[in-house]
Amino acid sequence: MEKGGAARIDLKREAREDLSGHVHLLPCCIKHDGPTQVSHYFKPKPTGVVGEEDGLPLQQSHFRGRLLQGTTLPLPHGYSGFVLGKKTPRNKSDENSNSWETNATFQDITYWNHDYAPSQNDDFIRAFHWLTVANALHSPVTPEELESSSFTL
Amino acid sequence: MGSEAMVSEWASEPCIMGIDEAGRGPVLGPMVYGCLYCPRSYQKTLSSLSFADSKTLKEEKREELFETLKANDSIGWAVDVIDPKELSAKMLKKSKINLNEISHDSAMGLVDRVLKMGVLLTEVYIDTVGDPGKYEMKLSKKFPSIKFVVAKKADSLYPVVSGASIVAKVTRDRAIREWVLDETADNIDRNFGSGYPGDPTTKSWLEHHKHSIFGFPTLVRFSWGTCSSYFKDGAEVLWESDLDEEGGSNSNNNGKRQLKLRNVGFTTSKRRSEEIESSGKGRSRFFQARKLEHLTNF
Repeated sequence: MEKGGAARIDLKREAREDLSGHVHLLPCCIKHDGPTQVSHYFKPKPTGVVGEEDGLPLQQSHFRGRLLQGTTLPLPHGYSGFVLGKKTPRNKSDENSNSWETNATFQDITYWNHDYAPSQNDDFIRAFHWLTVANALHSPVTPEELESSSFTL
Repeated sequence: MGSEAMVSEWASEPCIMGIDEAGRGPVLGPMVYGCLYCPRSYQKTLSSLSFADSKTLKEEKREELFETLKANDSIGWAVDVIDPKELSAKMLKKSKINLNEISHDSAMGLVDRVLKMGVLLTEVYIDTVGDPGKYEMKLSKKFPSIKFVVAKKADSLYPVVSGASIVAKVTRDRAIREWVLDETADNIDRNFGSGYPGDPTTKSWLEHHKHSIFGFPTLVRFSWGTCSSYFKDGAEVLWESDLDEEGGSNSNNNGKRQLKLRNVGFTTSKRRSEEIESSGKGRSRFFQARKLEHLTNF
């Protein structure tokens, strides 16, 4: 299995920390990798306002002086979020292996925009359209469906 | 906040008003605009109340004068407290709002509020922000029925502005004293100093409360140049909205929203905006429009 760039990912959900409500996607790249005091400094507050037309409940927060507007999206039914970490190699031969394990899971994600309110037009929300499309593409077609959608070439 | 509760009988007489600010320069805490108004017929008495420019008074004297003017039935007052978060956010927007504009809006907001309370304002005295001539034109255009006197050092020239400066300064000092920090981290002390970038107490507070990821508590005005010297050893943060600007000059860029670092979080930080933009290349428009790319390496 471990050939040319293949990765082994261990997706275990049992007994992993559930980070739902704590996963944030910020409109910036923070050049730091590691733990920090997020809950002491990053304080999202619901604005009580619901996005025009699409009814997304909005939150606001500040990071490095900038006003961020965000909304929490539940992950689609049947999907889960995973926080992966590289497996610590057990022996020499494992050292170069690309093996990952689940450190935590989540069922929603809060994404933030700088300068504009979240809406259904945001790329991030639109990316989820793929799941519906993929589902349609991959589900078997019954003879009845074929018949009802038949068209002349 | 203000004396709104009692709209006095003199409100329908021609009234004068002074407007002044406190906390424009400091790197932390709110900026406060204050105003004080009274009937024109009261002007002489007002001059005898020994309101001087608030900066020349000791804190206790200012507090005392504020209590005196609050108790005075012939005087009305109001304040606009602008949160440091709001100052930072406005000044760091993609289309930046500068401090002069924020100041002008606050002053005009006060005029508007007092007029709406039913006070017949005929003359308004105000300390200038930016060019006095242009500022006066802006004010007169918005409120054609009022005569505006815009001057440098108006707070020491006109007692009604001196009074306003006391209202503003006392409100800012109290706001700082009673400031409720958003942050819940331990060891944030309240010895902020005056907030002026040169104040040694403020300098030392900033030095001790900088945070490598978050920068500072939100009491600090991140948009102040002073802050950047404290960020040097902190984690670098690259904003999508800044990349947008950078990419705006690219000929192949046909929309601001194209340059996003997103891709559900797997994009590495070192990529330049052009590379990010081209990531959907070769894929159907459906994927390009949603910034979805194939991940071949994990």
